[in-house]
Amino acid sequence: MGRLSGFRVTITQVFRPRVTEKFPQEKRPKPPRFHGRHVLNRYEDGMEKCIGCELCAGVCPAQCIYVRGADNLTDAPVSPGERYGFVYEINYLRCIHCDLCVEACPTEAITETKLFEFSFARRQDAIYTKDELLVDDEGRARRQPWELWLGGEDDETSAWMRATSSSGNAAYENRVAWSGELGFGVREPERGQGGDPGALPAPDQGGVS
Amino acid sequence: MTTNAVPMSQWPSEHRYTIPVAPGPETVTVTIDGRAAQIPRGELLIKAAQDHGTYIPRFCWHERLKPVGMCRMCLVEIEGMRGLQISCATPVADGMVVHTTSDAVTTAQDGILEFLLINHPLDCPVCDRGGECPLQDQTLAFGPGESRFVEEKRHFEKPVPISDLVMLDRERCIQCGRCTRFADEVAGDPLIDFGGRGGSTEVITYLDEPFHSSFSGNTVQICPVGALTARPYRFRARPWDLASTETSCGACAVACRGSLESTSNRLVRLLGVDSEPVNQGWLCDKGRYGLDWVHSDARLRQPMVRRAGELVESSWPDALDAAAAAIRNTLDTHGPNGIAVLGGSRGVNEDAYLWARLAKGVLGTDHVDAQLGDGLPADVVLGMPRATIPDLDRAKAIVLLAPDLKEELPVLYLRVRRAAHDLGVPLVDVAVRDHGLTPYATAVLRHAPGDPGAAAGVVADALVGRPGRTKVGKAIVDATDGRDGPVVVILGRTSVAEHPDAIVHAASRLTGLPQVRFLSALANPNVHGALDLGLTPGFLPGRVSLDAGRDHFTKAWGAVPDAVGRDAAGILRAAATGEIAALVLVGCDPLAECPDRNLARAALEQADTVIAVSAFMDTAAFGATVVLPPTVWGEQSATTTNLEGRVVRLGRRVTPDGSTLESWRIPAELAARLGSDFDLETVDEVQDEIARVAPAFAGVDASLLRRARDGVVLPLADHADEVTFGRAGAGPGPSWEPILPVPEVVGDDDRSPSTSASDSPSAAVPAPTPPVPLHRWDAPPDAPSVPPLDAYALRLVAGHALYGADAIVAATPALASLTHEPTLGLNARDRDRLGVHDGDRVRITTARGSVDLAVRTDAQTPPGTAWIVANAAGPGAPDLIDLTSPVTELRVETIS
Repeated sequence: MGRLSGFRVTITQVFRPRVTEKFPQEKRPKPPRFHGRHVLNRYEDGMEKCIGCELCAGVCPAQCIYVRGADNLTDAPVSPGERYGFVYEINYLRCIHCDLCVEACPTEAITETKLFEFSFARRQDAIYTKDELLVDDEGRARRQPWELWLGGEDDETSAWMRATSSSGNAAYENRVAWSGELGFGVREPERGQGGDPGALPAPDQGGVS
Repeated sequence: MTTNAVPMSQWPSEHRYTIPVAPGPETVTVTIDGRAAQIPRGELLIKAAQDHGTYIPRFCWHERLKPVGMCRMCLVEIEGMRGLQISCATPVADGMVVHTTSDAVTTAQDGILEFLLINHPLDCPVCDRGGECPLQDQTLAFGPGESRFVEEKRHFEKPVPISDLVMLDRERCIQCGRCTRFADEVAGDPLIDFGGRGGSTEVITYLDEPFHSSFSGNTVQICPVGALTARPYRFRARPWDLASTETSCGACAVACRGSLESTSNRLVRLLGVDSEPVNQGWLCDKGRYGLDWVHSDARLRQPMVRRAGELVESSWPDALDAAAAAIRNTLDTHGPNGIAVLGGSRGVNEDAYLWARLAKGVLGTDHVDAQLGDGLPADVVLGMPRATIPDLDRAKAIVLLAPDLKEELPVLYLRVRRAAHDLGVPLVDVAVRDHGLTPYATAVLRHAPGDPGAAAGVVADALVGRPGRTKVGKAIVDATDGRDGPVVVILGRTSVAEHPDAIVHAASRLTGLPQVRFLSALANPNVHGALDLGLTPGFLPGRVSLDAGRDHFTKAWGAVPDAVGRDAAGILRAAATGEIAALVLVGCDPLAECPDRNLARAALEQADTVIAVSAFMDTAAFGATVVLPPTVWGEQSATTTNLEGRVVRLGRRVTPDGSTLESWRIPAELAARLGSDFDLETVDEVQDEIARVAPAFAGVDASLLRRARDGVVLPLADHADEVTFGRAGAGPGPSWEPILPVPEVVGDDDRSPSTSASDSPSAAVPAPTPPVPLHRWDAPPDAPSVPPLDAYALRLVAGHALYGADAIVAATPALASLTHEPTLGLNARDRDRLGVHDGDRVRITTARGSVDLAVRTDAQTPPGTAWIVANAAGPGAPDLIDLTSPVTELRVETIS
């Protein structure tokens, strides 16, 4: 059996459980707080949540977001209120998926899916416009030809809101929660990381009064 | 009660609720938060604290408005006085001890902010003010942090337009009254006020009269919340998108200081910067919102050359070669006198100087004129004793020999109005028709068009104490009795339908007055810079005449023209007869700007070569041989000269689209192609050359201009002590009041007023004496002969409207809608005599031409005269005026 002894390692490997996945065909489930490609959400009546306030663009450390607002038409408003996001672009060659845009958004218009498998042959494709970012009528991300969606990645687009301080005090520890109130993928709020562990924090209602 | 407190009854009452215009030299000692300071008696506490590094929060108080004490945010604790006091309406008193951060004060401020926020919506993400909002800032700095208010806020219909440019969001209004007070106190257009009571108080306009003010944009700038927003800027950017550069406005000759802001290489906003001697923070709407024309699709981005009868786009080297070849060709066939340069009054100092150098030093022609028959003789403008705008405030009297300043130079109107209305300077109004400043005049003299001489004579006599027999003479004597200071004459073209000699003659009657000074009211943005820098016949750069400066400039340039050339009217006539074969049009369109359109048309049709330096395809460029598009305001850093002779810097904020050339490089490149290289690489080098060569600009080099906060008034030798450096004193920011960083305090009592930011010492500026004596105007012309009034004809008065047909208005959508069709303004008596009604179209005929216009009853126009706006689009006054005739008589016939 001298000949086969050389295949000992190989043969043992054959009977071991497989760790490799058929990646493009199958994907591992992602953690719930994973930061993937963004979507722009809409209300149930189809109105866009984005009001073009540019807070996401202002907070973005990679300066990959470009937003311009415009006056809503009174007879055919795009979003509730006076202003809507007229231009919304994210440059995915720059985005570092830090999610600060999601936290800054006062209307929970921008959240992230779990999709990260997208690559581009052209620079223009890397700049996602509003048409590509905006969810469809079902509240799901619009799939671009160069993105690999297998399902489940756009199920949970609700945003995980971290304990960033609202009043500029770095030591302040806010309650952490799923934001809820989203067009798609609404989750029950989790318990906060500080304060009373027994009480469920109220979801951040967001929006403008 | 502490011993050093002063009872309220002993406070100087004359300053309560008035602007302490000039707190006296006497100072008092006030202790603010433990720091003693010497403060002029009568200064308001809030201002004194700000000048000494303590910021007291405020909403309603504004440095340039009278205090009202409406918002209660500026509460402070004053030892010895019961309760808290509003520091915006409390003048300082000797020995006052003030606490601005005590517990009682912070509790009160918390409460005020909580009350203000009860009805203020939290729509900051939607609001244009969000990010630069005093209410946001002060809530963060002084507020409670949390709201206890859970009830429903008040609701109004979201933005309602109160004028074509301003939108009002009543939900956001905190009733500080800044806008209403501005409109009433500063602009003199009290068209908005508060209506309602209590929680339903709102800013309202009159039912039948929207907020039609030329200054409405200022209310948007001073609104401490986002209640007033500007329609052109609405939602175009957020504050953190904006990059800003300090510049001067390029809409008229006042050159107000402003902060020019852009985002994504687009100009989106101009905010007034508080320049004490010039605009004091205000802007007119035309300057403020006249930005989009810079990015207009109608702008030319490529030079064009006429090939086989068609203008085709070309490269810069080709176009410049073509222009130089055309010029050389004309030089060969016609000599230097065959070429003329027109325009330059809308450019910058650098290009004006280089065009003058090209024309006079290289081409050898003196047929150069920046004014197209719509101005005053350069002899007068350059040689008259000049006043500055601050002279208005301390004048013995102000005499108006000018067009309607509210329409032509709006911010100068604000300054004259302030001097007359707030500071009590007697204002003498000599004009044909009523205008914006008439309500503030002490004495009103009306004269027939073309004949202001007699009225000026009455004023001249009255101002030396001889009232004569007239009532106005007595009124002037009474008002000026005992007053010191200069007599400031504001001198401009009252009407372009009459010959300028008439107004010059009137001005000459005032030259004999003691301490008389003249403030030019020519309106084109850089007309004074163009005249100062030699773009006028008979003069060389720096206010010296051709003869006086001949030796100096021959040394500097190599050559100057031999004889005095023709003015614009002469140039156009010579071009029409073929004597002048080549016209260089520097940023001007004679068909639109020259009061005599028939003459301009004949000249342009007859000229062999027209080289148009134009940012737009205007009618002149349309027939040009070569079109060279320059960069414009906002796209290049340069300097401009305002009507005082103040040289100020213009900032570059955006990069031009396409391939335009900096305007000063065009003459420099042409000169190089014509065989004389100016050897100038940067705009600073041009400024330094001007300072070296032009006598009136002696010492005004690039380095001084860069450091001088409010610019430099020419000549520097007379105004060296007025040059100030460092940060602006009044109004720390352009649009709102950011919370000032408290400066480090070295000692307790070393912050005397002289070291504060408001009056930073003017360092000694070296003021070299001009190498050539500057020109003086000393030959008053004889009275022009005016034909007697014709009982059957009407005499035309033509002036400029704020929103005319110029490129700024025409290519800016927000302003283009504010223009009006030209009409024939008639007094009701003349209208009835002619048997016409408002809106009827009539045919107007003069010796020069005829046009059809609609009739409008105009109460400002006196009987026997007719009013037509000279700068409206389409047929109008320019088709009727003959540049040579002393007045324009017109006949009106009805057309069916």
